[in-house]
Amino acid sequence: MRYGVSFRDPTAESASALRDRVAPLETVGGKTIALMDIGKMRGDEFIDRLEQLCAGRGIKTLRYKKPTNTRVAPREMIKDIAENCDAVIIALSDCGSCTSCSTHDLNDLDKKGLAGVSVLTTEFRQAFESQKASIGLDGAAVYVAHPLQNRTTAELHRWAEAAVDEILQMIARDQSKPKMRETA
Amino acid sequence: MTVDISERQQDGVVIFAKRECETCQMVEPVFGQIADNLPIVIYTQDDPTFPSCVAAIDDTSLESSFSFDIEAVPTLVRMKDGKEIARTYGWNRHDWETITGLKALGEGLPDMRPGCGSKSREPGVHDALRAKYGKLDYKSRQIRLGEWDDDIEVCFDRGFSDGLPVVPPTDLRILRMLEGTTRKPDEIIGDVPPNLSPITVEKVAINAVMAGCRPEYMPVVLSALEAALDPLFTMHGLLCTTCFSGPIVVVNGPIAREIGMNSGINCLGQGNRANATIGRALQLIIRNVGGGRPGELDRAVLGGPGKYTFCFAEDESDPTWMPLSVARGIGRDKNAVTLFQGDGIQGFLDQRSRTPEELTKSLAMSLLAVGHPKLCEFTNAMLVLVPEHYAIFREAGWDRGRITEELHRAMVRPGKDVIQGAHGVGEGIDRKRVDEMVNKFWPEGLLIVQAGGQAGLFSAICAGWTGGRFRNESKPVTREITI
Repeated sequence: MRYGVSFRDPTAESASALRDRVAPLETVGGKTIALMDIGKMRGDEFIDRLEQLCAGRGIKTLRYKKPTNTRVAPREMIKDIAENCDAVIIALSDCGSCTSCSTHDLNDLDKKGLAGVSVLTTEFRQAFESQKASIGLDGAAVYVAHPLQNRTTAELHRWAEAAVDEILQMIARDQSKPKMRETA
Repeated sequence: MTVDISERQQDGVVIFAKRECETCQMVEPVFGQIADNLPIVIYTQDDPTFPSCVAAIDDTSLESSFSFDIEAVPTLVRMKDGKEIARTYGWNRHDWETITGLKALGEGLPDMRPGCGSKSREPGVHDALRAKYGKLDYKSRQIRLGEWDDDIEVCFDRGFSDGLPVVPPTDLRILRMLEGTTRKPDEIIGDVPPNLSPITVEKVAINAVMAGCRPEYMPVVLSALEAALDPLFTMHGLLCTTCFSGPIVVVNGPIAREIGMNSGINCLGQGNRANATIGRALQLIIRNVGGGRPGELDRAVLGGPGKYTFCFAEDESDPTWMPLSVARGIGRDKNAVTLFQGDGIQGFLDQRSRTPEELTKSLAMSLLAVGHPKLCEFTNAMLVLVPEHYAIFREAGWDRGRITEELHRAMVRPGKDVIQGAHGVGEGIDRKRVDEMVNKFWPEGLLIVQAGGQAGLFSAICAGWTGGRFRNESKPVTREITI
């Protein structure tokens, strides 16, 4: 990532330069999790499996898909997610533009009070760090292997299975299956 | 000198020139004469094709001109063993021949002709070059933005703003702001509440940039901050209070006029840069350095618009009026700031009073409403007396002392009327004071400032903060401004 202008910190610098992200939910029980597909190829296959895994745990999700990974999410989509969801999982960034744009999406939703996590490939760890530093958000991320474009659907599904616990930990302290009401 | 000294420059001459300088054009043949005899490097400030007789180095960035501290062109610098041993500027045959050791330079040219100013010394340019190529020793953390990030939006996102756009504090702007004070950037002014974080002059400058201040406001901002950090001002409580209050800054002395502060029409309102930004800088410091953010430790139940900024100058043009700062112990014609813990404006409308006695009674009625009509010795108050109201007093020979004294006297009431429960109202003073005659304010608790436009019989009352009930613990503070 290239840098633009710079300026000096006006604060006492007693805290991190990054803003704390919205705290994770206490529990996923009764909450709705947005699954935001950033629109990059193959990400939907990962999210398909993630959606199944959430459903299997009794977690309610809503799917969203950006028109393109090369821009930030449309304002209406951010508004929709903020109004209808309690937390967001953004996936799956494996390039520079999608990392930058999706980190802005993460920030926009954080500012609207949603705990969030971005899923990226390991190659873009540094890009995510740079972007969150320039935005000023101590955003959460989970990384999967790089590259992903040459993987099979089965492999991407296995990645989702391996990552789901870590992803949910980033947005909720308690990811256990919501308790079913006991019948008399 | 930070530029690389090339081999050609080790022993030879360095010349700085620009095409738009007529003297540089006139001596162009001389450059060729020198080049035939000595190693030469020519830096051109505006047009890389100039001069045509000798290849020049493009210095349109002015980096080398800055590094050599060039003030005029042409400048001729003699180098020996990589060090400068002599220089001259403009055209002076004798000097050029002495420095180069060459004879018969510029035959046919006049003996001397002055040059032009260096582009590196044009207004604003030198500061920019200092910020870009000079040695800055800022201690504050650098925040680097992405290539496409909007710097003003970033300031919002990071919580640096009071809700209005701030000016991003770039190195150049900070450098210029620091030019407004002789105090060193690393000098610590005090500990800013509520976090009690130490603040340096550099941090003051950063926040003054963000507020939109000009460098010449810095002495006022620094003194206002020092006044705010005086324990007697109780800035800590004032920030964290559930009340409306914030610091109201009154500026006295010649500096108010020098920096263009408004003490006249609409002086408590919008539209004057110094009034607006000095008060705002103080509030941004409390927010950014002190950590005093609304909803966190700033717990004002309603707050008030004065918490963006509330700063104005006193009108000192009437010689019969003793300025506030003088009344508070500062010498005449000295610069001073007074900080008062106050709320917004309660208008005082009286277009009927003709005598000072009438006006005093009338003012007293409105002043009694400060805080609550039945609360006494509970807050201080600031009265901003407009010229037309003051004229009624002045024409009767009443000065500041007399006005203050008469107002206090007009506000003394029987305790039985203002104790808790009296007249069916629970609020009020302690019932034990039922038989006393009670003052509304402490004797020193009514501050009068003269300001405002020449037309309009509308003065203003700024209620004081409830912390003022602790008479000896929380007071307005006046401080002389050190330039």
